[in-house]
Amino acid sequence: MERVSTQAQTHLEPPASIPAGKQTLALKHTSAIPWYVYTSFFATASAVFGLYWDISWHMSIGRDSFWTPAHLMVQFGAVLAGFSCAWLILHTTFRGDAIAKSASVGFWGFRGPLGAFIAAWGGLAMLTSAPFDNWWHNAYGLDVTIISPPHTVLLLGMIGIQVGGLILALGPMNRSEGGARSRLEKMFLATGGLILIQIAMFIMEYSVVPLQHNAKFYRAVSLAVPIVLVGIATAARDRWACTILAGIYSSFWLAMLWIFPMFPASPKLGPVYQHITHMVPLWFPLLLIVPAIAVDLVRGKIGTLGKWWQAILLGTVFLSVFIAAQWPFANFLQMPAARNWIFGSDYFEYSIRPESTFVHHLFFPEEATRAEFWQKMSVALLAAIISTRLGLAWGDWMRRIRR
Amino acid sequence: MRKIAWLALFLLVATAALAHVGSQDIYYEGNAGPYHLYVTVHMPQTIPGIAKVEMRSATGGIREIHIAPMALLGSTKLSPVPDLVQRSKADPQFFTGNVWLMEASGFQVHIQADGDLGHGELGVPGTAMPQGILPMQQALGTVLFVLMLLLAAGLVSIMGASAREAQLEPGVVPTTRNVRRGWIAMAAAAVVVAVMLILGNLWWSADRRSHLMLTRPVRLRASLQGSRLVLDLPDGRVETRRGVFVDWQRFLGINLLIPDHNHLMHLFLVRSPMLDQFWHLHPTPDSRAWFSASLPSLPAGHYQLFADIVRITGAAPTLIGEIDLPEVKGSDLVGDDAGTAAPPVSAGQDRTVSELADGGRMIWERDPGPLKSRSFLSFCFRVEDKDGQPARDLEPYMDMAGHAEFIRSDFSAFAHVHPMGNVAMAAVQLADASLDANTPQLTASESSMSMHIPEVPETPAPPSEMQMPGARSGSEVSFPYGFPGPGTYRIFVQVKRRSHIETGIFDAHVE
Repeated sequence: MERVSTQAQTHLEPPASIPAGKQTLALKHTSAIPWYVYTSFFATASAVFGLYWDISWHMSIGRDSFWTPAHLMVQFGAVLAGFSCAWLILHTTFRGDAIAKSASVGFWGFRGPLGAFIAAWGGLAMLTSAPFDNWWHNAYGLDVTIISPPHTVLLLGMIGIQVGGLILALGPMNRSEGGARSRLEKMFLATGGLILIQIAMFIMEYSVVPLQHNAKFYRAVSLAVPIVLVGIATAARDRWACTILAGIYSSFWLAMLWIFPMFPASPKLGPVYQHITHMVPLWFPLLLIVPAIAVDLVRGKIGTLGKWWQAILLGTVFLSVFIAAQWPFANFLQMPAARNWIFGSDYFEYSIRPESTFVHHLFFPEEATRAEFWQKMSVALLAAIISTRLGLAWGDWMRRIRR
Repeated sequence: MRKIAWLALFLLVATAALAHVGSQDIYYEGNAGPYHLYVTVHMPQTIPGIAKVEMRSATGGIREIHIAPMALLGSTKLSPVPDLVQRSKADPQFFTGNVWLMEASGFQVHIQADGDLGHGELGVPGTAMPQGILPMQQALGTVLFVLMLLLAAGLVSIMGASAREAQLEPGVVPTTRNVRRGWIAMAAAAVVVAVMLILGNLWWSADRRSHLMLTRPVRLRASLQGSRLVLDLPDGRVETRRGVFVDWQRFLGINLLIPDHNHLMHLFLVRSPMLDQFWHLHPTPDSRAWFSASLPSLPAGHYQLFADIVRITGAAPTLIGEIDLPEVKGSDLVGDDAGTAAPPVSAGQDRTVSELADGGRMIWERDPGPLKSRSFLSFCFRVEDKDGQPARDLEPYMDMAGHAEFIRSDFSAFAHVHPMGNVAMAAVQLADASLDANTPQLTASESSMSMHIPEVPETPAPPSEMQMPGARSGSEVSFPYGFPGPGTYRIFVQVKRRSHIETGIFDAHVE
């Protein structure tokens, strides 16, 4: 790694006079939000909204041309993130001033902010998933399941773009104070909210209303959500960071639930089992806002505890409060009172059979015995604790990011 | 939602596989109002997938045809937006179009024809199921492999850069300690990436195995008890990809089947390897097993079994099996059961004339020229009495002018064909009923999950001689079909004359 040190010294200004690890360069322009933070945010927003739209398209119209606006929005997100990060890396490497180079990391001879490399990696993964997914559809059939190997590559790519976006905001955010820090933290939390929205879409196979009395559902949420909530909240200073993230998720999900049905649509594929006249949205958001508030309240008071104790407390609070909120709310969503535009319990995709548990608003129990249920619930608790612990570690790591 | 959808898919696939064996394309002949159509549906390899629909009209004056895929149960109110098919420039009577089949189940292609003679509709029923997994092309595999290496190396390097420099204040040069941390992070990341790739590969392999399982026909367990053939569903339970166990009885229970030509099962016993014994029996539900049937007297040998059933959804799977039989001293054939001994299948010339038991003959009026696979062909058979005169004594055999079975000599393909095509009559009736917009939709209580049998449209009274479906004239019967691939095929054609069922035997060599 001598090359790295040499290269860094070559690019930094003044290179020779600074003893390694002893001095820093004063950064200018710290009050402005860098352009690449905006492009990363819009790339993430485009991909996440496009994904939601695409799922709704598949539920309402079915498989369509590659050139649907929903597909284009997802691809635009990948292209915007990929190109802007590629430009940022190339510019920093070949045209960057000392300030830009000093706030960069080295990667295969290139220099740029760490987030740019992560987002570029995400863009490449998304591009890789396209031919892989196309072949998969030809070989196995279209979207037999959401969680397939090519979709996982796509998801990793999207996560790469989003985490890259987070870290692009983190570098200047962690180096700033005052108003600049506050503005960057808003962008950081907004990007985090988009990540939570996407995570919710990825676990929707497990989170539909008929499954919300199953331990498997709580296990899936416990695995996927605390790491995002706690991780991003730990890196931010806002004491209501978890609440803000869950609020962004809930607002987006509700807005889509109420707006999408305003647009007409009819299935192009068959067999059709439900009469569709408009775009079918995803269902009512999970009540993640409730455990998010609880986690925010608790985490403000336990900062002095060890990380594992924090994880045990926060994980337990998250899961128990979420169960207390979601379990009875699922009962409500199955009732006639929820079959309206506000709660959207009567929206079904065109291919749902009339005899389905969805259509009859019945729960679909998957655990055969009480013992199996509690065994999986125990795993859910363990998952919540481990996910929280990983979130704390990730958050601590993000707090230290400077480049 | 997808989870349940996947489970439903599995159940449907498991019970749909396979409609016919090795012969998935649909060949159908019927009337869309005033227009007589010959329809071929080339089924996709995978479900969901695209089926290619070819239609030739025997009637002129069609202006346009729209097609849409529909469920067999339900009404045209639930049709997706129909697609306009393309008319051939070379042949104005020939039309082609595509339909997406999203579900492994019974389905129909709903055809709407409009032209000088007015409007007409036709439902062509079929059973959609995945047939296999396409291999990956080498070039694509190479590109993806390189991209995978690039992504893996990129991830490792990003982790290294992250640990080495990302946490340093701008301008600070990484120390030796930082560099070492970078190396350690890269080593750890390499291990994690390797584990992820290994787990991914295991996942992919498991996925492939479970998918392949869905493409195979359900294999029956057959045993002999006295002179009775007993059929049982496969042993044990099947694990779906999601780890949900399903019991075969739950999906192929007797009360989930509907009769086809008044029988819940049509069983064909064919002795291998020479196809020199052929028996078409109709097992009945057995309280101690699944189905059972009294066997006629049979010579010893190894027999292949093909069992046609129709599910409540209209899906018409063919289950397979095999059994070694000793010489069986069985009972006389009764009802619609029929069969015959046959000469060994001929690997040389086509066999186009078959001698019948009463001294008459059945003649395959084969067009000259080679037989091509995957093409719509009309197989016409003429029955002559012992004086060489056209037979005037044909009667409906299970409501049809005749039944034909096409079997490849290696048993890799089997199709039970009727005069309107290689579809089950019960499915045709469901399709016809669904074209009536007033048909009530399937309700939950009638669904397969609730194990009630919906009312199948009443079987029409036996038609008169000239009205029999598929009867070209009083002595001829025809079947639309296309061979699935090259090879030697044996064709068994069954007709009924003076209450006696005759079986004609023909051999065909297909390019």
